[in-house]
Amino acid sequence: MSLGWRLLLAAAAALPAVSPAWAQGASTDVVIVLETQPDQLDPCQASKSQVGKVIKQNVVETVTEIDPTTGQVNPRLATEWSQVDDHTWRFKLREGVSFHDGTPFNAEALKHSIERTMDESIDCEIRVKYFGGLTLEVTPVGDYEVEIKTSTPTPILPTLMGTVVAMSTATPKGEITRDPIGTGPYRLEEWTPGQQIVLTRTDDYWGDQPAVTKATYIWRSESTVRAAMVASGEADIAPNIAVQDATDPEMDFSFLNSETSRLRIDAEIPPLDDRRVRLALNYATDREGMRGTIFSDKVIPSTQHVVPGINGHNPDLVPYPYDPEKAMELLAEAKADGVPVDREIILIGRHNLYPNSQESLQALEAMYEAVGFNITLKMTEAAEWYDLLFKPYAEDRAPNLFQEQHDNNNGDAVFTIFVKYHSDGGQSTFSDAEVDDLIDRGGQATGEERTKLYQQAFKRIHEEIVPDVSLFHMVGFTRVNPRLDFTPSIATNSELQLAEIGFNNS
Amino acid sequence: MNRFVLRHGTQSLFALLCLLVLVFFLARLTGDPTDLYLPMDASLEQRAAFAESHGFNDPLVVQFGRYLAGLARFDFGDSLFQGRPAIDAVLAAFPVTLKLAGITLALALSLAILIGSLAAWRPRSVFDRIASMLTIASASAPDFWVAIVAILVFAVSLGWLPTSGMGTAAHWIMPVGVLMVRPLGLLTQIVRAAMIGALASPYVKTARAKGAGKSRIIFVHGLRNAMLTVVTVAGDQAATLINGAVVVETVFGWPGIGNLMIQAIQQRDFAVLQACILVTALAIFVMNLLIDIAYSRLDPRIRNA
Repeated sequence: MSLGWRLLLAAAAALPAVSPAWAQGASTDVVIVLETQPDQLDPCQASKSQVGKVIKQNVVETVTEIDPTTGQVNPRLATEWSQVDDHTWRFKLREGVSFHDGTPFNAEALKHSIERTMDESIDCEIRVKYFGGLTLEVTPVGDYEVEIKTSTPTPILPTLMGTVVAMSTATPKGEITRDPIGTGPYRLEEWTPGQQIVLTRTDDYWGDQPAVTKATYIWRSESTVRAAMVASGEADIAPNIAVQDATDPEMDFSFLNSETSRLRIDAEIPPLDDRRVRLALNYATDREGMRGTIFSDKVIPSTQHVVPGINGHNPDLVPYPYDPEKAMELLAEAKADGVPVDREIILIGRHNLYPNSQESLQALEAMYEAVGFNITLKMTEAAEWYDLLFKPYAEDRAPNLFQEQHDNNNGDAVFTIFVKYHSDGGQSTFSDAEVDDLIDRGGQATGEERTKLYQQAFKRIHEEIVPDVSLFHMVGFTRVNPRLDFTPSIATNSELQLAEIGFNNS
Repeated sequence: MNRFVLRHGTQSLFALLCLLVLVFFLARLTGDPTDLYLPMDASLEQRAAFAESHGFNDPLVVQFGRYLAGLARFDFGDSLFQGRPAIDAVLAAFPVTLKLAGITLALALSLAILIGSLAAWRPRSVFDRIASMLTIASASAPDFWVAIVAILVFAVSLGWLPTSGMGTAAHWIMPVGVLMVRPLGLLTQIVRAAMIGALASPYVKTARAKGAGKSRIIFVHGLRNAMLTVVTVAGDQAATLINGAVVVETVFGWPGIGNLMIQAIQQRDFAVLQACILVTALAIFVMNLLIDIAYSRLDPRIRNA
């Protein structure tokens, strides 16, 4: 920030505040200002965070509901469930629930919802993200019970059902709808693309009547503007504001946002195929030095790619300490064995992956060069970054460290561990039979055994394989107007339940 | 007049066609939108199936043929991300930008003519010096920064204006004001320079000698001759305003074409991007035509050139 900019801000702050004429009146209506507008509002895209923040659990509801802090599966539209055999589950449905178009929520409606979500002719994110390679056969058993047969044994089907939403049978199959009709406490009142979305409370919701009567969603891409809108009373909630805009402890809440940042190490290309070199990178990383400076002081140094609370997270792992001496020793040892440790390593970053994204990589670049690495930083835009994230990787690529951030708030490590670390995973950079075996067995197991197998896998990955420099469990900031009684949480990243908002009497 | 306008018109039309071809192929050089559309954890098979079903695997020439065939039926394709016809999205956004740019340009031009002419009346006077300093500063101010500072001062601290969005007349003040800053500075400088030239010419001296009044000399004798340069630069500025609108629309959350275009580029939403560029280019094409006509009105010599 330049001096002029600071002076102007100081001058601005010193000006007398006048009660703004644009603030909405005190009422039970709320305005929520998002970063970006949802492109679609199709129920089967509710897992996209920009869609989910508007409709998930507000307009459309999930079959089960996952508690993001504990990973526990709770009832929502299904009241109870049981496993019949390896491939078969039964779900009992809540009675007396109806869709906003008046049609009843029952076994037929759920069958329609699941079939439409699994329909390959539309690109439903819920299917692609959670049901890849799995097919479901849904059979109603009476009006309020369904039997679901899965093509492969799926012990976490109740967790997966926490992603599937119910939609009216009027929702057409085979095409994207712009009119989500669900069972939630709010109905879609108005959607003016580019301008706003309005939800209004329904009178006949099956659960408790929420306090908010109407919610208007608008979007501004600049964090400063979003924060300013809440400060001036034009908006009530601004999710995801940048750390430098979160300046008012009265309004700004920080919370672990279920994202974890890391550098993925390309463990297939020399010199990074040598474990000592990968360890050296970890010992050369000064996590504490970046905490409270480049990253918020609220972030937590991480050891694995899922946050605490996710089933399979291993609490016994410890972050590698900052020990540049040891890093240099390891490098010297590797060099003595003929490992080309002087080779240029590309540090690939992405602009705005998180606040101060580029600054964090410049710091890491300096730390690695200090112990003797030859690092070149290369920043990319989203499209190019995605190309490099996924297999197939280019055959003739240079050894690289890849900046990444991953979000898992779905209660189970399966949504992370296969893709990132299994040799068949779309983003893995090593192949280890033992890790593959633990992940495969974990995927089939339930209960404590599942937790244990995943924890073993994370231990082996962190301590033996070392395929990444795990950085931090990240925090998000959300600004909330003090007139609201609402505390953002880890879930606020992907959904924003209006029913959880109350009003402070003032 | 007609021959001049016609010749320029045909040239612009040809340029428009070249632009279409260029945008189509350049946009696709960077890859397809599969990775951006599908979630990060989608499998390789899912990615392949997605690209196949949306035709991203076909040779570019085949895709281009499909695009042209669609254009012939006025079908601009569907937005991949919005799931609706691309032209709907563009036609909803275009009037917003047109109004914003139109009002801004009209205001900037009027103010520039007034300030520039008065400054040119007595070059190096106190008024001229102050005006020049301010306009040079405004011509070089980055609009992004001006926009954010304006919001912090006028909306957050003073509470005089809304931070962003559309709706009331008050919502227009900051976006128009910010967007106007640069063209106003530049146009004022141009008007001043052109007027100094015009006011030094023999016919103005004659008019002064005849005892014509200050306003008559400036606005009747001087301005009409200075306008040729001003119109050219104003035309250029109108096209640049679309660029400025990208920043202003993004900061103030206006659903205009600048905002839409940026989003389409980031998402590789080709159909929307192509429709945006086609509509914008057409608008600039029409505007150039109008400028050509204005030229031939202002300067009879051009009509028969």
